[in-house]
Amino acid sequence: MKLSFKGGIHPPQSKNTANCAVEKMPPPKKVFIPLSQHIGGACVPLVKKGDIVDKGQIIGNVEGGLGCPVHASVSGVVESIEVKTSASGVKIGQIVIENDFEERLSVDVKPIEKSFESLTLDDVIEITKNAGIVGLGGATFPAHAKLASGAGKIDHLIINCAECEPYITVNHRLLLEQPERVLRGLKILLKVFGLTKGYIAIEDNKKDAIKKLKEKTTGTDFVDVCIMKTKYPQGDERQIIYALTGKELTSGHLPFEVGCLILNAETVAAIYDAVVYGMPLIERFVTVDGDCVKEPKNLSVRIGTPINELIEYCGGLTKDPYKIICGGPMMGVAQWKMYAPTVKGTSAVLVFSNQNRTRQSDAPSCIHCGRCVGHCPMRLMPNYLVAFANAGELDKCKEFDILGCVECGCCSYDCPADVPIVQTIRAAKGKILEQMRAQKAALNKSAVAAKPEKEDKGGKES
Amino acid sequence: MNIDYTKNPLTVTSAPHLKNPERTSTIMLDVIVALLPATVWGVYVFGWRALAIVLASALSAVLSEALFCYFMNQPITVKDGSAAVTGLILALCLPVSVPLWIPVIGSVFAIIVVKQLFGGLGKNVVNPAIAARVFLFLAWPAQMSYYTVPGASLPVLANVDRVDAFASATPLGALKNGKLFEIGLYDTVLGKVGGCIGEVSAMLLALGGLYLLIRKTIKWHIPVAYIATVALIALIFPQAEPTWRYVAYHVFGGGLMLGAIFMATDYVTSPITKWGRIIYGIGCGVITMVIRCLGQYPEGVSFAIMIMNLLVWYFDMYTRPSKFGGVEKKK
Repeated sequence: MKLSFKGGIHPPQSKNTANCAVEKMPPPKKVFIPLSQHIGGACVPLVKKGDIVDKGQIIGNVEGGLGCPVHASVSGVVESIEVKTSASGVKIGQIVIENDFEERLSVDVKPIEKSFESLTLDDVIEITKNAGIVGLGGATFPAHAKLASGAGKIDHLIINCAECEPYITVNHRLLLEQPERVLRGLKILLKVFGLTKGYIAIEDNKKDAIKKLKEKTTGTDFVDVCIMKTKYPQGDERQIIYALTGKELTSGHLPFEVGCLILNAETVAAIYDAVVYGMPLIERFVTVDGDCVKEPKNLSVRIGTPINELIEYCGGLTKDPYKIICGGPMMGVAQWKMYAPTVKGTSAVLVFSNQNRTRQSDAPSCIHCGRCVGHCPMRLMPNYLVAFANAGELDKCKEFDILGCVECGCCSYDCPADVPIVQTIRAAKGKILEQMRAQKAALNKSAVAAKPEKEDKGGKES
Repeated sequence: MNIDYTKNPLTVTSAPHLKNPERTSTIMLDVIVALLPATVWGVYVFGWRALAIVLASALSAVLSEALFCYFMNQPITVKDGSAAVTGLILALCLPVSVPLWIPVIGSVFAIIVVKQLFGGLGKNVVNPAIAARVFLFLAWPAQMSYYTVPGASLPVLANVDRVDAFASATPLGALKNGKLFEIGLYDTVLGKVGGCIGEVSAMLLALGGLYLLIRKTIKWHIPVAYIATVALIALIFPQAEPTWRYVAYHVFGGGLMLGAIFMATDYVTSPITKWGRIIYGIGCGVITMVIRCLGQYPEGVSFAIMIMNLLVWYFDMYTRPSKFGGVEKKK
């Protein structure tokens, strides 16, 4: 029986690029490297205008806290450091590097000196951090922090190749073309975690990749290829953990708390490159698709390449674009201009014409059909959350676990009445989190003000 | 590559960027399609007058919604098809002999009082068609409980004289008097008996229900729970022999099929959770049988559904699915 979860939806898969081999896109004339491409604090630039940088050189790093450095993806001259709107819609500083096309490698990029046998988890964490590797499935959680959180606590090391979002085929192609990178990466991770077996979670729509993996792993037993039902959001880490282990991860908790570590296939491949070749994350696979793109392709793209160059490389546009999306169509971010750079979390660039316009209603009225409740993988009641949110009842929203929403969008996808369900929930979640931060800040302030004589204990009470 | 953004601005919306093509009007169309066999059968059995009633009811429902929205300066919502469904269902639970103004009044009441005054589609507390039927039944009991024999030649538009010549007993009316219906079970299931226009053919209603199940428009929980409860209660407390025939007349004889499949499953006025739906169906079944067996009326489907409609909020709240991951871990 195929592994799966309860709820979810079956949008048209549109995996048009499943047979398109990954093409190496030539590096662009200029790259734009945003200083924050991960969850956590933004990096501080380490270079200034006019500096000459090498490929793979660290050009920005975090000052403590969660985060990881960013690297120059080409060799060249720093043209400017400017504040721009990024692909995810926030204003962020970015370093512009003019490519000199010399492809000079940074001196820091060198293979590890230690032997495989003497490699420890701490080594891998350090390497992963310096290589700037984040979760490449799209969440961009710093990978070293994930590895560190799992130290000594995990029994399931899971590689996520579910790729449940429509259109995207980069993981599929990675497994088909370069399975060694993933398998060897897995071997390294298994070794340093002291585990004997890892799991590869893959949806059953990637038959050729499954076959390839089975071929590659016959006679070995360090990997278990777990075939999952093709359903959205099968690639959500909570749903994969549930499908594989039957354990349910409560909202606000991390996979290591149920003994699991989940990494995207491309992340594992990047860790392999970093450990074995010392190569930081300066390139990633991107699917370019959508009905406006002349030749949909899978590309291997330098981080920082503007998305319009990706589209141009794929033959340009055939129709007027209506919407450009960075990421998958279910959770990706719509762009307002075409010049946003490709970042570490960009798994796809999709250009749709207005034939793919999603219905919207000026006055949606919920007909209480219950589809959102039936599809919600987190078992919430999205329709009531929307009703409470629209009435401004944020406390009621919290009572109905609005913070447990993973924003997969199944509810909005299937709503016959065109209620913007997940969109409303997202907005309400933002308000609630803001409120909670304000309350916490006020509490800290009053705790300090009320007990000035015990000021030294103020920190404890917060 | 240059794009003139002032001419063709890109659209920026919050994810998801995909949408299921199915919409409210698709669902309403599905319901109408599912009701068509029973409607056509009603016209076949009761003559063109049945069609006149269906049209009068559906048209006045659509028209009253359009006019209400127009005069209230609201967007006109008849395109979603829900008014047409209300009008059709109301017509199907009327006897064919009613004067033509009865469906008109019923539809206007259903749409304006029960639906629009509560805020329109999705906001009504009870099912409009059922509330209208109950209202008509209480206001004009004589007209509403005069059933004619199948095939009686009735005028298409003029009022019908309520004479004994055409009067027909109904399966439930017979059960009320403590005896089984004289017409066989075969004809009852097929629909060759006296009764309301769309209620007589249990078989074609079940066929429509099957269509809705296949189209995933409705889930099985409410109809199955409802019908099973009615059958079970009839089985435990039979009031006529043989028991299996008594049970069968209860299930196929009255408005149960139409009620359980098409009225109790109305999205707006039924629970949203699996267990809520099952409890709701059981509740409908119990109230129906209490009215049928202990009450004064031979039929209780509409009362039962209307009462249960009022409790839907509680079913939703008390059968909330436990969220993924269960209870919060203690800190």
